[in-house]
Amino acid sequence: MLDRRLIIVSGKGGVGKSAIAVALALRAQRTGQRVLLSAMTDQIGAAIHLGAHRLEYEPATFHGGIEAMAVNRAEALDEYIKLQLRIPTAAPTRALSRAMQVLADTAPGIREVITMGKPIFDTWQGRHDLVIIDAPPVGQLMSYLRAPAVVADLVPTGAVRDQARRMSEMLIDPDQAALVLITTPEELPALETAEALAELESEQLVHLGAVIANRVLPPLDVPPERLATLPDRPASEAAEHHVGLLNMQSAALAPLPIDIHLPYLFGVHTPTEVSAQLADEWDNGA
Amino acid sequence: MGQRSVKRPEIIIVTGAGGVGKTTLSAGIAAVVAQRPARTLVITVDPARRLADALGIAMRDSTTNRPTPVPNAGPLDAVMLDVTASWEAITRRHATPEVADRLTDNQYFRAVADRFPAAQSYAAGEQVAEFAQSGNWDVLVVDTPPAEGGIEFFMAPRRMRELVGGRLLRWLTGARIPGRRMFYRTAARPMLRLADSLLGSALLEEIADFLLDLRTLYDGLAARAAAIDRLFGQAKVLVATTDSPGAMREAGRFFSSLPEINTAPDALIFNRTLPDRWITARGPKGTEAEDIALRENMARWSIEARRNRDARQEVAARLAVPMATVPWLRQPPTDISSLADLITRASGLDTILESAE
Repeated sequence: MLDRRLIIVSGKGGVGKSAIAVALALRAQRTGQRVLLSAMTDQIGAAIHLGAHRLEYEPATFHGGIEAMAVNRAEALDEYIKLQLRIPTAAPTRALSRAMQVLADTAPGIREVITMGKPIFDTWQGRHDLVIIDAPPVGQLMSYLRAPAVVADLVPTGAVRDQARRMSEMLIDPDQAALVLITTPEELPALETAEALAELESEQLVHLGAVIANRVLPPLDVPPERLATLPDRPASEAAEHHVGLLNMQSAALAPLPIDIHLPYLFGVHTPTEVSAQLADEWDNGA
Repeated sequence: MGQRSVKRPEIIIVTGAGGVGKTTLSAGIAAVVAQRPARTLVITVDPARRLADALGIAMRDSTTNRPTPVPNAGPLDAVMLDVTASWEAITRRHATPEVADRLTDNQYFRAVADRFPAAQSYAAGEQVAEFAQSGNWDVLVVDTPPAEGGIEFFMAPRRMRELVGGRLLRWLTGARIPGRRMFYRTAARPMLRLADSLLGSALLEEIADFLLDLRTLYDGLAARAAAIDRLFGQAKVLVATTDSPGAMREAGRFFSSLPEINTAPDALIFNRTLPDRWITARGPKGTEAEDIALRENMARWSIEARRNRDARQEVAARLAVPMATVPWLRQPPTDISSLADLITRASGLDTILESAE
């Protein structure tokens, strides 16, 4: 999976996207790849799992080698105008930049193309072997993935349209880009994952690289007959709680094509410990 | 409206991070409130359509935003908002029929309707206001979209005012409401010529047409948006969380951002509480495999119970509002009576709901 240029990590809110994006970056980095982790809309999760206070637009190095940054739309817009649209320096770029900023605030396709465009441009620049995007929740991500096509439809000619088309082509090329979808083994996240998979299947906006189940509980090898005879005290309550959750988890995951199972981590862990532990557990879960 | 004075309904907004059980809690609160008895409507603005799932009903009418009675639940109705339909409804309400037709045909309008989250949230807010003013319900329980979307829901009225009265429009059209001809004169300016070469004049014209039409909605929208703002200001806002660090961070964000828009969370609901008695409990002493498995399991969950209690204490101290705790269920509630049961078993929630009256 890590042999592509661009990996987009998404899933429903609260399923552990940022922790897993950082775990993936750690794994890639261990095999000697130059990795850039790019927090697309919300940087808090990625920052704390890297042990950073905050991420800047300019990449900084963490965890002995992973570079990480946060996409800031105003800066991404400036860079887009200067580098991607190749506006000659004589042109009134500040005025244009302000005008584009206003347009981008209001026009949804353009705003999203600029945010989504930044990590894609970083991939094209080739300073890293792999760019991992810590993406917004899957519901919002669909608008970002659709944005290049929306812009290509809305904008009949010109450099903006050409860029948008190039972005679409990269996203749907399975050799270059893949989406990693995270779910937890709970009823509603699993349901939303199934819905997202159906949308992805029908719209073909990006190649699906893997579906990951996070926070999967370990089995409890005690037969139900024994549970029924346990005296009523915490140990039996905890056992019934665990077995109930296990049943719920397997029912939730049953309809999903899960590629990797990552374990529920019991107890207190710092966010950096969580990502490191998930990176270690990766091969056990495949 | 008019002569008959309609008692303003009580509005309860349940918000918080994704995955904390907002939809379940909203449905449960609505089920309990309906038993007062009170004519209650539970509203979800979550595009994932989870409420129908939690309520165990098929919401065939969701695309028309029509409240449907919940079977065996007293005077309880449920509705799922379809934001695309809401957008059309907003346009039809605030624009002349001719402008409304033109707007809804405009591809740019459709792009905005589908993809501008503030518009979706605004449409949801307008629908909530409409239900509130109908006089059909005594209590509205509103389940907000998760995370950023949740805050967006509260910010949307002012974002909409900015959109229709905003900078892009003035930039494209000049300060006053001009005719179309004025726009094309403006388009001779060098900056627009450059934008034109990047985007093409057809798009700029379409955007200008769209915004000029949208501009005619401004007065109606601005008044409406201000009314929704006031409605949110009067609502009881309940922030839901669990012991997950991410959810607790999100909860904190509501406490820091909502005062900006003149509202503030009234209470915290801590969902998935584990029993404190597990913290010091030990498993069976035996040496058989099953005993060992049970002992290990107890050890795992006693660690979790301690973390859960520490999280509750930490969040209660930090956020300083009344806090209700809801037990962690082994199975998610699948029908209306188990939803109500969950809320009845919660500790501290009845006081919070009563003080909402």
